[in-house]
Amino acid sequence: MDLSLSDDQAAVLGALESLAKPFAAVPANFHGFALISETLDRALVEGGFLDVAYESDLGAVTAALVVAQLARLPYAAEVAASALVRPLLGAELPRPICLADANAPHRPVRFLAPGASVIVLDLDRVSGFTASAQDVQATETLFGYPVALLVPRADRETMLRRFDVSPAAVRAAWRVALAAEIAGLLGAAIDATVLYVTDRKQFGRPIGSFQAVRHRLAEASVRATATRWLALQAADSGDAGDAALAAQYAQEAAAGVVYDLHQFVGAMGVTLEHPLHLWTYRLKALLSELGGRSAHAVDAAALIWGG
Amino acid sequence: MKFEWAEEHRAFRATIREFLAENLPPDWEKLAHHGPGSAAQTEFSRHFCGKLAQAGLLTPHWPIAWGGQGRDAWCQIILAEEMWSAGEPRGAQYMNVNWIGPTLMQYGSDAQKQQYLPPIARGDAIWCQGFSEPDAGSDLASLRTRAVRDGGTYRIDGQKIWTSYAGLAETCFLLARTSADRKRGISIFLVPMSAPGITVRPIPSLIGEGDIHEVFFDDVEVPAEARLGEEGGAWDIISFSLNNERLGIPRFALARRALDRAVSILRTRGDFDRESVGVQASRAAGLCQAARLCSYSIVDQRARGMAGTGESSSARVATVMAERAVAEFVVEFVPEALGEADALLKAHHQRAIVAGIASGAAEIQLNLVASDVLKLPREPR
Repeated sequence: MDLSLSDDQAAVLGALESLAKPFAAVPANFHGFALISETLDRALVEGGFLDVAYESDLGAVTAALVVAQLARLPYAAEVAASALVRPLLGAELPRPICLADANAPHRPVRFLAPGASVIVLDLDRVSGFTASAQDVQATETLFGYPVALLVPRADRETMLRRFDVSPAAVRAAWRVALAAEIAGLLGAAIDATVLYVTDRKQFGRPIGSFQAVRHRLAEASVRATATRWLALQAADSGDAGDAALAAQYAQEAAAGVVYDLHQFVGAMGVTLEHPLHLWTYRLKALLSELGGRSAHAVDAAALIWGG
Repeated sequence: MKFEWAEEHRAFRATIREFLAENLPPDWEKLAHHGPGSAAQTEFSRHFCGKLAQAGLLTPHWPIAWGGQGRDAWCQIILAEEMWSAGEPRGAQYMNVNWIGPTLMQYGSDAQKQQYLPPIARGDAIWCQGFSEPDAGSDLASLRTRAVRDGGTYRIDGQKIWTSYAGLAETCFLLARTSADRKRGISIFLVPMSAPGITVRPIPSLIGEGDIHEVFFDDVEVPAEARLGEEGGAWDIISFSLNNERLGIPRFALARRALDRAVSILRTRGDFDRESVGVQASRAAGLCQAARLCSYSIVDQRARGMAGTGESSSARVATVMAERAVAEFVVEFVPEALGEADALLKAHHQRAIVAGIASGAAEIQLNLVASDVLKLPREPR
């Protein structure tokens, strides 16, 4: 048991911090739902940050650390799938990597665009294809990611490429990626809220000094911290039960905390001028991933205590 | 960063489990049900802790100079997890080895160390902790029990409450006021419970017999040598003590064991096939795992000699959430366990109620997280 960063991990995260610095603030004129940057994406690829899991001395834990740290930015970047799921597929795949759940065909797919690699997870197989314009139906959503709908096609089966990997392993990695991303989003959203309630005064004092606010924010902080540990531990063990628990815990935490943070930032958080939504509306997108918290819980029960 | 146990720690846990398997009687779960403060378990603890001491498992984390083996913080939590999960066969004595002994080593006079440390290390000492008072619970610094200097002695008057183990303890680790200064006016006294003027009244409680008490001090005379550390120095000393014990009891370990037991009962009768049951079980398991990992992150800091932080309060909060989820799971799905169906589940439930109350209320922990971790502005007083 050693829960501190290794020197290599500290170096990776340190380099990532420098790279991410120009992206820490929201551009003044941006008033949208999903903030993206090709410059950031390119820098992440060129810096090798999405490939850390391929390095045996860094591995999945470092990849999960990278995912969590990048999720703290107000920018939505396709990191989690590339860093944690792609290494299992044993193939050079064009990015972005879009994870699609075969059991949820109506669900908007994050980062889906022509040219993206779509990985379809089914109960008995993992397959994929490179999306063309005919596969992608643009859609406007409230989510904090660029998303699109996957067009149902009768001839898709002929285009699918099978990956020689167990669906359970991909599901577990996806769950770890999900939990790590939620951990980072929660952390940054809580930080933004703490700033606001420290500054904002009502009844002559900062609203963050009222116990009704302090206690709920403290609970949010505990849940965010625990989410991060669960994600990292599951990344380390590679155990499917750990991954299901991490995903379940993460989504449950996200569901409760998003509500609370919006309560505390109040009307200011309803505007597109305050950045809170850039984290919370990404969290909302993640709540339904892989069937949502109850689906993870059902799986976790079978994995932990036997079906 | 790695989450696997080192070989040394795995072996240490295995040694403890072997010891427990050999030394706990077959009817132990029933005995444990009376609670760590009961007469039966206190008596058992004297016998059991003696054997633990002989096996080197009572104070392995103590320095070698005091009979320990200088083992690290991981060994301390492994020991605590295994003992608490087994129903705490050390009874009241867990407190001695966790923080009373280490506090005496740090602040005690030579005479105090010689008098008190060997019996603790032998497994033959029962202490109680005289902290809370009727008007000083979460707000400990408002305590009013007074110790007035009278030449070479102090005369103590006042009342303590919720005092665990007081009925059978030989010595009380007592906080008393020696001046009006809120925090700097508090001193510590090591008081023999046999001193004239002490009256102990057990309080019937939900958590087992003999556990909590009222203790009255009526003109109790103790020599000045019974004071631990400087006059008025209690606050720093108990900060050190709580630092040693800042994780509190690793309740998540028994909570998870109780959850596994409940699931096993449900599976046997076919009720675990219901998805709604599995969902709640997993939810509780996730909270147990969260508490475990948050606690381990604190142990990791301790193992590296780092100072305490507000994060230990986060671990306490996570533990309270886990304990609550498991207790509620059992009440909802295995209600017969609160009867006579399962001694372990009943004992767990009995003790779980104080998870968010004993040694600092959960709400106080939330305040500490808000101030120390999140740096939120404090509430005006």
